[in-house]
Amino acid sequence: MMLLRLISWPYARKHLLRWLLTMAGIVLGVGVFVGMHTANQSVLAAFRETIDKVAGTTQLQITAGEPGFGEEVLEKVQSLPEVRAAAPVIEATVSTGQGNLLILGVDMLGDRSLRTYDLEGTDEAIDDPLIFLAQADSLIVTRTFAEKNGLQVNSRVPMRTMQGDLIFTVRGIMKPGGLASAFGGDLAIMDIYAAQKFFGRGRRFDRVDLALLDGVTLADGSAKLRALLGSGYEVSPPSSRGEQFEQTSRIYSLASNITSIFALFIGMFIIYNTFAIAVTQRRSEIGILRALGATRSQIRTLFLTESAIAGSIGSGLGVLFGIVMAHAMASYIGNILTEVYGVAQRADGIQVDPVLIGGAWAMGIVTSLFAAVIPARAAAYVDPVKALQKGRNQALSEGESLLRRWAAVGCAAAAVIAVIFSHSTAIFYAGFVLGGVAAVLLAPSLTLWLSRFLRPLLAFLRPVEGTLAADSLIQSPRRTSGTVAALMLSLALVISLGGLARSSYDSLADWMRIALNPDLFVTTAQSVTSRTFVFPASLGDGLRAIPGVDEVQLVRSVRVPVKGGPVMLVALDIGSVERRAKLPAVEGDAATMYRRTERGEAVLASENFVRLHGGKLGEVLEIAAPSGVLKLPIAGIVRDFSDQQGSLLISRQAYIRFWNDDSVNVFRVYVKQGAQDSDVRQRILDTFGKQQRLFVLTNKDVRDYVTRLTDQWFGLTYVQIAVAVLVAILGIVNALTVSITDRRRELGVLQAVGGLRQQIRHTVWMEAAAIGFIGLVLGLLLGAVELYYAIEISRRDLVGIDIGYAYPFRTALALAPVILIAAFLAAVGPSESAVRGSLVEALEYE
Amino acid sequence: MNRLLLAPALSLALLTPCAVAQDARQIMQEVQKRQHSTSQHYEGTLEVIGGGNRIATKRWIFDRLGDFGNSKGMLRFTVPAEVKGVGLLIVNHPDRASDQWMWRPNIGREQRIALQDRSTRFFGTDFSFEDLEERDVEQYDYKFLGEEAGTWKLQSTPRKSSQYTYGYLWVKKDNYTIVKIESYNKKGLVRVIDYRDFEQAKGIWTARTTEVHDVTRNSRTILKYDKLEYNIPMKDAGFTLDALRRGA
Repeated sequence: MMLLRLISWPYARKHLLRWLLTMAGIVLGVGVFVGMHTANQSVLAAFRETIDKVAGTTQLQITAGEPGFGEEVLEKVQSLPEVRAAAPVIEATVSTGQGNLLILGVDMLGDRSLRTYDLEGTDEAIDDPLIFLAQADSLIVTRTFAEKNGLQVNSRVPMRTMQGDLIFTVRGIMKPGGLASAFGGDLAIMDIYAAQKFFGRGRRFDRVDLALLDGVTLADGSAKLRALLGSGYEVSPPSSRGEQFEQTSRIYSLASNITSIFALFIGMFIIYNTFAIAVTQRRSEIGILRALGATRSQIRTLFLTESAIAGSIGSGLGVLFGIVMAHAMASYIGNILTEVYGVAQRADGIQVDPVLIGGAWAMGIVTSLFAAVIPARAAAYVDPVKALQKGRNQALSEGESLLRRWAAVGCAAAAVIAVIFSHSTAIFYAGFVLGGVAAVLLAPSLTLWLSRFLRPLLAFLRPVEGTLAADSLIQSPRRTSGTVAALMLSLALVISLGGLARSSYDSLADWMRIALNPDLFVTTAQSVTSRTFVFPASLGDGLRAIPGVDEVQLVRSVRVPVKGGPVMLVALDIGSVERRAKLPAVEGDAATMYRRTERGEAVLASENFVRLHGGKLGEVLEIAAPSGVLKLPIAGIVRDFSDQQGSLLISRQAYIRFWNDDSVNVFRVYVKQGAQDSDVRQRILDTFGKQQRLFVLTNKDVRDYVTRLTDQWFGLTYVQIAVAVLVAILGIVNALTVSITDRRRELGVLQAVGGLRQQIRHTVWMEAAAIGFIGLVLGLLLGAVELYYAIEISRRDLVGIDIGYAYPFRTALALAPVILIAAFLAAVGPSESAVRGSLVEALEYE
Repeated sequence: MNRLLLAPALSLALLTPCAVAQDARQIMQEVQKRQHSTSQHYEGTLEVIGGGNRIATKRWIFDRLGDFGNSKGMLRFTVPAEVKGVGLLIVNHPDRASDQWMWRPNIGREQRIALQDRSTRFFGTDFSFEDLEERDVEQYDYKFLGEEAGTWKLQSTPRKSSQYTYGYLWVKKDNYTIVKIESYNKKGLVRVIDYRDFEQAKGIWTARTTEVHDVTRNSRTILKYDKLEYNIPMKDAGFTLDALRRGA
């Protein structure tokens, strides 16, 4: 404690700006980590909370994937003696002017056995239950939604339904709390039979919620229900829906985890750099302490304690910053997940997990301590005699450099070997880590070499300033290498993610060209992924009769349980698809696989389904359907990006037969040659637009939508990239501030012998530009390697799709001016500090 | 247990009160016998008196074909306009609970009332769907409890599935009409039904007013019978799902 008070505290006060910059690294690293995780967790927690609140006293739910099942299932379930109450449910999310509204279609007669509807002003479920049931336009809304939209009992609410534009009437308002707080309070209750009609569900329910008689265990009840309904139905507690969603959105969580950990990793280099510099600067202090009898252990502990304190404060601020970030990101992430997975979320508030906060705080401290281990060890081994000789320890010893270089070569060689044996996941990831370690170990030597390489160029540009700037880098590689490493890692992240994005866009463009080639798409929503409303199949005949329409393909997309998880099943007219939009075959006989699938004898699996779910050509898949388990082999593997979790293409006829569902999500419309898309579009709207909810999207609209969705997907990644670059730029500021402080005497002497202020400024600027340049070169090189890993990770564990390697040269070119300008801006403060300081003080320095 | 749609009406029987007083089942058999009719028609006015004495008024038309335990009933709301056309078809069975379907013209479809939902309130009134069933006396066990102010007090216990565990009935000694029913479940008293304003229609003593008191909600529903007719010609085809869908 005494050492901290007498030695560390005065040093920290004297170099307050640097400490603040160091902590900014930790703040950003921890902040991004906490922000991403808290936002993700909040979205998942909000989803679970909605499930929980909507479930009421429901103990078990009967489901059969998204298509739901016929009404007869309800009677079967209700007939089971062990069932106390069973009520059908339809859940639908509709877009209102003020965001999404979750509509719960329930049977008001029996539903109150499972859910409590706490209405305002009366103990009735609604003002007049008979009117509620008799009038299909009846809605019960929550107080939250009513206040947000200025509604009262008998207010009118317009809604676009499958029966056209209708006006609904508010017949009851629920008090806040309980069910009314589900989905952030944006909830409305509708009669289930009205919901069937307005959402185009036919005589189907999404699920049946039930409660068992007292004394019947969940296990017994589930077993009886499974035996009653057969294997095509899932019987599970409400909480399992949350698990399914987590499984579905796993990719997003994993991707955000990887990038947030990367941000923290970059922050670690800033800390390392700061402490390495501190040790260098305080070597005389350390020497005196050692001469006065301080043990190596005490010196090491002193530095580690300083690091722990800095880490603790930085992590604390990072946690606060992360929480603020999470507030901003939660609804954004919710929207992305809604769009990408078609499952509505509502995370208006955030849920702060104490374990996560504690973990992140501890992680920040551990990272800080880890980053300080090497500098602390260096401090402990400072030779008291050499310590008083200024500049002696700044250069890397040849032995030290050699050792690092050999270690780097070893790691790089191991990484290359790991690539050869990369079929093993563990070896692949080990190779990824070793590659990064090799780059980091090599960074000091490369920095030194590149500084030497730059010296003539800088000297050529400005003989005095350029030489001074280059020499400063060459003489103090430790001061620079950490910053360069951080910058290198940041830029490698930019390149790898930028490259991944570009490759993804290229692959998507190829797929869209083949798969999304209809001229028009008739959908139930502006969002192509929304599956709330469905069309009757009969609309297809109506569309075919529109002048100018050449062909109409009926598509039904639903998530159904396959291999233990929800998988997108796309039911369509396979023969027509083969003719019009034949997907590239990855495996299988292209000539026969479509025919077998069309006959309902097999399915086509997407490449990513096979990768992510472990399938193979010829494997017989078991697909749970209400009429039993459908066993179909994989006849072919095709490249299809319909769903991130993979998709299965099935004949529409087979789907109708097994799911007893002939509804349609999307009609793909091909226009006759010579006919104008816009004319046909208008005719469709004129004919059907007023009768029912219907949107006609052009091919461009759909492509733009997919591209926008991809932009959103990568949107947060770009934010993380920006944070990573910001952390690295902070590193440059830090390194330059140290450089100025370190050379205050030298710079003072320069000024004293007639050096102009402008020359001092140029020196600092050139040093900054050189750091930026070196970081840029190394970052672009490492980025090329990281891009390979990013594509591989994406293929193996994220989306399961082979995307081509395409180095993002445009991004690299754009980065050059960005980094050099950022380096220059980072140098402005330190350079002004260098020229505006007191000359007398500078000459007295140290 | 309900006698609501039965519209209790008893003729003066010549049974010796003392002779039957000791046999509860005989009393109920006589009640049923005196209420016997092959069909029934009436127009009912419902007043639901809720919290704050707010009164909601509705009207319906009811037809019944057949008799105890094997009858079919069709109920159709006529007033107010918002609920006009809403119907309920009840098919009673001698050996099990009735089948009930509701018709909602606005949705354009019928909905089966599940057995588990029979205890829920009938369209916001204080009757439950089960109260609309017409059960034969043989579907209950009876126990004679004594005499109270010119009535016999009986206890009835349902033999088949019911929301009620037991009930008390008060049967007037002079004309074998049920004047009051108290229905209990495991938690205690649930409903009290009072029958008033008895008049004879085609020789059947009929209560022109029925008042139901939901004890747990403390609300009341008063049903008044108009245009009451018995034994008028009706066809089976008028009591099917098709008839329900066709509307009145």
